[in-house]
This record gives sequence, structure tokens and C-alpha cells, in this order.
Amino acid sequence: MNAPPFDPLPLLAVLERHGVDFVVIGAAAAIAQGSPLPTYDLDVTPARDQANIERLVEALRELEAKLRTPTEPVAFPLDAKMLAGGDAWTLATSSGSLDLVFVPAGTTGYDDLRRDALAVDIGAAEPVLVASLRDVIRMKEASNREKDRAQLPALRRTLEIIRDRERGGTMNAGG
Amino acid sequence: MISGDIIREARLRARLTQRELATRARTSQPAVARWESGAVVPSFERLRELIRACGLELTIGLATYDDSYDEWILGALKKSPAERLEAAARAAEAWSGWRDRLEAARERASV
Repeated sequence: MNAPPFDPLPLLAVLERHGVDFVVIGAAAAIAQGSPLPTYDLDVTPARDQANIERLVEALRELEAKLRTPTEPVAFPLDAKMLAGGDAWTLATSSGSLDLVFVPAGTTGYDDLRRDALAVDIGAAEPVLVASLRDVIRMKEASNREKDRAQLPALRRTLEIIRDRERGGTMNAGG
Repeated sequence: MISGDIIREARLRARLTQRELATRARTSQPAVARWESGAVVPSFERLRELIRACGLELTIGLATYDDSYDEWILGALKKSPAERLEAAARAAEAWSGWRDRLEAARERASV
């Protein structure tokens, strides 16, 4: 099966247009801030209040979201109660893979991540919130999965270079 | 990664407020805030004490210096966030194309 290609900007624009409160996490958050990581999906942490979940359901309907499985995407009844009942959802959408993670490892969820998040212009009507690099590192440290640990050196180095620039430093490709 | 980020990461993993960490480490909340912001850099020994007060251990080791990521990071920092995400999507698509071709070649070889 040819899955729709990963296309994060339209996907984010749909969430934003429906007024969904969310923070982009994972590799996409790190990439948006300059980290040299690959990614094939978009991970977001939505706010868990009822009104937001209902807006999220509407956005997911527009994105034709289905459950992602190792073989074919599977349609499922998209409703707020069902969505709120799960901690994480791995979805296939018309703009590629989307993972919803309500409480990422090492955090307490949306409100925790929103505090340090950056508002990033992605060309939509409003900026979207992206988890800070130090929170991305916090999540990957806490998850303790091999693939997350492998990404930590690049993430830490990106943070180091950004910190150096903030302080007017001269760190360059030569270190 | 600067020490301030490590202190904040440890504190949040331990689910402590700055004040709670200050109490555990026998210091003041403003002192913790100054360390976390990078306004003041703690000594290595103080950093280790703060991490221990979070119930964690700071481990260190020596490795060969590796700046192989820098070229990619510095290149990415010249782009906007949207351009970085677009580039990642193009890379994912290119990789997907290679993977499909590889799988097709394997299937042909097994026939």
C-alpha cells in the first residue's frame, strides 16, 4: 500500500485551523529548531479538556484519520469520548502519520510542555507551539528507548550551539 | 548542554519546584533560578549535589570530540522552522522511495 507521504505543514495547519490546543513534540519539534534528525511522522501533545478533544476530533475527520497498523490503516469511530480514553494514538492521515501522545514520558502533558514551548510560524494563520529543545531532550531521556537515546548527542549539540548564539558566542562548525 | 539545562531537566524529572529543590539542596529558590537560567554557573561539585538532590546521579565520561553534526545544525539554523520541516518531509519521501525500490528489487530477486 502507498501511504500518503509525510507532510507536516498541511497537517499542522489543519489542527491550527480547527483551534486545537497542542504542542508539537518529538523529532519534528527538534527539526523545527535546527536539529539534524530524520522523521517520518508528526508527534503532538494535545490539551486534554473536553472542548479541545472535540475540536481535535473535527480536525482528525478532515484529515481522514485512521488507526495506523503494520499492514493497512483501519477506520475507527472517531469520537471525543473514545479519543479521551486513550493515552496515545498512532494514526494515518491524508498528510501522513500522526501520533497523539497525551502524557509524553517525563512530563505531565500539555500544560507542562506549553510553559517552555516556542510559538513557531509555519505559514498558517497563527503560529503553532513547539516543545522547547530542552523539553524534547527531557522526554527522550525519560523514555529511555534505544532509538531516542541515539538521538540525544545531536539534540544536545544543537542546544549547545543555540545557547552559544544566544550568549553572542562564536561557536562554528569547527567547534 | 549547559549546566542550567541539566539542573532543570533533573528537577522536572523529579517533579520538584525550584523551591523544593532549593530546600533539599539547602540553598535558596533564587539561587536555583540563577543556575537554571545560566546567569550563574555552578561548580561541578555543586552541580552534582543538585542532581543528587533530585534523586539522580550525574555521570560523566570522556569520548573523542565529535563535531560531525555541526555542519548540519548550522545549515539548518540558516533556514526558517517551516523550511526545516519541509526539508525533513522531502527527505522522508526520498527515503521512502529508496525503500520501495529496495523491496521491489528483493521481490524480483526472490522470484
